[in-house]
Amino acid sequence: MGSADMRTVVLVAAALVAMPASARQEAVQTPEHVVGEQRYPFDAKDYRDEERPPIELPDSVAPKLALLSPEEIEFLKSGDARRFAGSADETVEALEERSPEEVKEWVSAMQAVVTGSRYIEGRDSANIPFNTGSPRFNAWRIERPRSMDPAREPGAIELGRYDGDGGPPTFGGYPLALTMEDLVAAKVDVAILGAPLNMGSGWRDSGKQATTDLRRYGWSMGGMDQYVMVNPSRELNIVDYGDVAVDNNSTERSMQHVREIVREIAQTGAIPMVVGGDHSLEYPNVAALADVYGKEKVSVIHFDSHYDAWWGDEAHLINHGYPVYRLINEGHVRGADYIQVGLRSGGLDEAAFSWMREIGMRYHNMAEVEFRGWDAVIERVVAEASEEGRKIHISFDIDVLDPAFTVATGTPVPGGLDMREAITIVRRLCAETNVVGFDLVELHPALDPTYKTTLNSVFIVKACLTGLAMNRKGLTAVHYLSPLSSEHAVDDYYGEQQEYLDRTKAEKEASKEEE
Amino acid sequence: MSSQFGFSRSGLLALITVLLPFTTEVVLGQWPVPEELRAAFSALNEEQAAFIASGEILEFIPERQLEHELATRDAGDLQNFVDDLMSLAAEMVYDQERDMGAAPLNLTSRGFNRGTMPTPAPLREPEREPGPFSVHRYLFPQSGVPTFGGTKVAIWPEDLIAGNVDVAIVGVPSNMSSGRRDSVAGPDAMRALDTIATPDIQSLVKPFEVLSVVDYGYFSVDYMSVERSVDHVTDMVAETARTGAVPMLVGGDTSMLYPGVKGIAEVRGAARFGLLHFSAHPDAERSGDHTVSDRQALYLLLDQGVVEGTDTIQVGLRGPDVDVNTLQWLRDKGVRYHTMAEIRQRGFETVLKRVQREVDRGPDAFFVSIDVSAIDSAEMVAAGRATANGMRLGEVTRMIRHVCASKEIVGFEITDLAPMLDVSLMSVMHANAVLNACIIGIALRKEGLDPGYVHPLALDHGQR
Repeated sequence: MGSADMRTVVLVAAALVAMPASARQEAVQTPEHVVGEQRYPFDAKDYRDEERPPIELPDSVAPKLALLSPEEIEFLKSGDARRFAGSADETVEALEERSPEEVKEWVSAMQAVVTGSRYIEGRDSANIPFNTGSPRFNAWRIERPRSMDPAREPGAIELGRYDGDGGPPTFGGYPLALTMEDLVAAKVDVAILGAPLNMGSGWRDSGKQATTDLRRYGWSMGGMDQYVMVNPSRELNIVDYGDVAVDNNSTERSMQHVREIVREIAQTGAIPMVVGGDHSLEYPNVAALADVYGKEKVSVIHFDSHYDAWWGDEAHLINHGYPVYRLINEGHVRGADYIQVGLRSGGLDEAAFSWMREIGMRYHNMAEVEFRGWDAVIERVVAEASEEGRKIHISFDIDVLDPAFTVATGTPVPGGLDMREAITIVRRLCAETNVVGFDLVELHPALDPTYKTTLNSVFIVKACLTGLAMNRKGLTAVHYLSPLSSEHAVDDYYGEQQEYLDRTKAEKEASKEEE
Repeated sequence: MSSQFGFSRSGLLALITVLLPFTTEVVLGQWPVPEELRAAFSALNEEQAAFIASGEILEFIPERQLEHELATRDAGDLQNFVDDLMSLAAEMVYDQERDMGAAPLNLTSRGFNRGTMPTPAPLREPEREPGPFSVHRYLFPQSGVPTFGGTKVAIWPEDLIAGNVDVAIVGVPSNMSSGRRDSVAGPDAMRALDTIATPDIQSLVKPFEVLSVVDYGYFSVDYMSVERSVDHVTDMVAETARTGAVPMLVGGDTSMLYPGVKGIAEVRGAARFGLLHFSAHPDAERSGDHTVSDRQALYLLLDQGVVEGTDTIQVGLRGPDVDVNTLQWLRDKGVRYHTMAEIRQRGFETVLKRVQREVDRGPDAFFVSIDVSAIDSAEMVAAGRATANGMRLGEVTRMIRHVCASKEIVGFEITDLAPMLDVSLMSVMHANAVLNACIIGIALRKEGLDPGYVHPLALDHGQR
């Protein structure tokens, strides 16, 4: 057995010991890795994409159809033709203003677009080949062997000279961990992982600028939280787990490696917090949790102004608009275990909402907030997330926030949450429910020279860290706030402090008497 | 090998002599193992020793570090270390059982080719006569829908033919720069800042009175894949060039240099025109793990013979991708490269004359391209792959004006402008100035004026 094998055995053994009981029962599932030139191993058809019903054409237009074949007439009546020809009335109108020759040309042009838009074997490439002959094919994701650096004990590494301070910036100033072995040795509770994936559409600056800025301005991820008087840095072992390697020329290729690294974190029993990058990352993050905790065992709370369950409009199987659909499609998460909060973007039609209802997805869009008020919605979301047995992953797209707070995001939509609302719901969810994973995505720093967006993103991460620390301390009561910091208690203004006032008065008198 | 390692080296030698009676023969490969380190090889097996001596290991660590490791590690430690590096080397290459060799696509998608299907004629409404048309209500418009230089719009090749168009400016909004990304916004930013078509202060020629120039919209790209964008852009560039108009492509990132030049070659023939390319980056990566990217653009053109190395001139090289191997490769290909080192050492005026001579003696036709990183960050901070210590804007425009005035221009491309990195819009203004320099050059040539012509009124006030 080589030394590398030996290390693997030690690591796996260590990971098994540290793994939560639930994860040990469910053996780690074989990942659906696409290797070689394999096709997508799941059904890619979008069942929401049902044909629109055909229309009937009146006899009056029959002469116009004289030159059409039966197939062409059938096409003209079909749902596919509605995209160009419009409703039945509009189709009749269009037919009436054309000669039979023009009708023939018109219909074959429509057919050409419909068939041309679809994949045709032989004409279209079925995949995007990489240069497999490259001698540096995997250079982007090769991990540095420990033997290249001076030997050190596994554990969390302080980079600074002054009790951890005075070194390069890390998330929240937390120490650095680089391997699974480090996570196990340092008994890490939360590993913050940068994921510089820069392929979301809209603006593209969610690459290493995002993960770097979250470190440079990330000091607020640590320290005392005034609302609940809990300091996550004291309660939890938190580390900066570096950045995961991504291939910014291919989201699909990046997905597998991100999933491996996130799985590595979850296998040690630590909570992966993946920050930076675009929302495609929700897919490998949640798939990795499903690898560890089992298929359909993880629930996702998706904070976003978009529902990210688009699919099938173009050739790709993943981008920042698809992760929800792909996770459900591949069976990692049940539609009924999805809770969506903050939706308000354009593009969602009746079919989209019908589909969400059909699969049992709990959606809470801004229309519900406008109708019921935020307080009612937050209670409903926390109650749903607190249901018995749930393991929660929170996927926080910063565009759920109002652009006033997060202008530097790829696809901002006005009318979102403010920071007070967002901090409260994230802290409460991380405190009151069983959170096993978290991500914060879609930060594009270049769009905000004031760094406000970066700072607000940092405070969202802090809110969850605080919540996780509260959970650890058992402060899981509904909407717990510190009785000390939330009330000066000089008087009994709210009628709740009489007991405190009486008691402290008695104590003062007692100490006077003693003197 | 510095003397500070002397002590540990002798210690290591002693250790090896005691512990390892079976010494392995040192296999001499590409790395000339320093004499004093050969003893360390006795700790290694034949395979390990061969790996080090082959020089393959230098892919992972610098020579200086390797020497340090050999001199200071004890036998077992050294074996582990070399084993680790050997397994790295094995993992670097593609394995079809382990690695994704091609990204799968959604073959059931209703929009697999969405975006790259031009609307067929019978579906275009309302009907209009072919030819470029204005998007303005007023005869002398001051605002409205922004177009490149305020020009008319053309949509179809028949518009270009009907309008006898000389130059078609068209966006190619890919957004896959290997640096900072926002080149998707390049075309619209350059449209929105109306600084193209300014009269030339040198010749006093008004280019748009000499040339018929249009805004030709944009060529569609797949934002998630350069690979899937190449064919469509190539076809569209070729279609445009066939009308007789010069395509001026506004990127987009520099990966689009490949389909840009290739499209022209489909019409004019491969290796039938020269390439004058300004960039900080050689873009000659020879072993990339993708089939096309900005870093590979020039390599692909040269490797596939789309342009000849001997007809290629590269100006402004510096930055992280310029190394000995790359420059040697360019030299072997016959490329006339001009690095910032040459410009600093010889002076710009000397290099300008040399480039002008190379252009003058080169092919009759040229494709001119510029990755805006060629220009110094002081004047072009919004470059996707900005690199310090570059060329001045005026230096670049003088060279471009010269080639565009002295040769037939078959195509022009400007790439990797990332507008969001410059709130002042200065970079956009300068990108327009670069585009304008070539348009002025083309206009000068059409007017039959010498590339260096200066109007007497512009040169001297003439007062005594």
